[in-house]
Amino acid sequence: RYVRQLQRLQLLFSPTAADARGAREFVEEAAQDFARQHPDVVLYVSPHAGPGPAPVLRAEYLNGTVRDELIASKTSEEIVQLATKLASQSGLDIIRIRKPFHTDNPSIQGQWHPLTNKPSILTVQGPRLQPQ
Amino acid sequence: VAKTSLTSPPWPEVKLPDPVEEAKYHAEVVRKVNGLISAGQYGRLFAVVHFASKQWKITSEDLIMMDNVLEAECGDRIRMEKVLLVGADDFTLVGRPLLGKDLVRVEATVIEKTESWPKVNVRFWRRHNFQRKKIIANPQTVLRINTIEIYPCLS
Repeated sequence: RYVRQLQRLQLLFSPTAADARGAREFVEEAAQDFARQHPDVVLYVSPHAGPGPAPVLRAEYLNGTVRDELIASKTSEEIVQLATKLASQSGLDIIRIRKPFHTDNPSIQGQWHPLTNKPSILTVQGPRLQPQ
Repeated sequence: VAKTSLTSPPWPEVKLPDPVEEAKYHAEVVRKVNGLISAGQYGRLFAVVHFASKQWKITSEDLIMMDNVLEAECGDRIRMEKVLLVGADDFTLVGRPLLGKDLVRVEATVIEKTESWPKVNVRFWRRHNFQRKKIIANPQTVLRINTIEIYPCLS
């Protein structure tokens, strides 16, 4: 009952740029292995000829967030590690989270309030109060 | 001897019950709880689990985040041992310190393995021209607790 949160991975690079060497090696060698190990992720490889923007690995998640990671001047092993890391993430923003836990039903036996486990006034046998 | 303010201790004196009656009462309580468990008359169960050097109070369908890396891949089911306490609406089972593995079963799934938000680690000494800046992103894992089950084999 586990759904991977990564929708597709787009690899944008240009085959002539010098800093996209790692991306080219990744496409030649490791892209098929990666695609086979993660069968529920779609991998698009789109080389754009000529000098263009820097090589980028774009990850889109099921809740619509798009994350770009630069792959310029990186070896293919690092790109593989990056891709696996992105594949196991979900699309939530990476900001400071306040609590490391989240429950929908926080209390089962009733939430504690200062009047639990205290005897009520009706049963106290004082000098003046009589039980009713 | 005259009674002063220090003859008896200030707390109210407690009389312990008879050990034989106590044993009978314990057996009765255990029988009742066993009956409830085998009849399945409990609603949600909560458990206190010792995991990743921390103790968590968990119910089913809730999220937990660890600040470390587990060796399981995303989507693996994990069974958590080291259960300290299990409770429902009417009764609780307290372990000393752990409960048996044939009593409780806690299952969880690894949902995602991300990194934390980039924390900045800056060291600075004034008047010494010393500045170091480092960005740290710890790996984190998110688990979702699937089920907590108990089996009627108390003693």
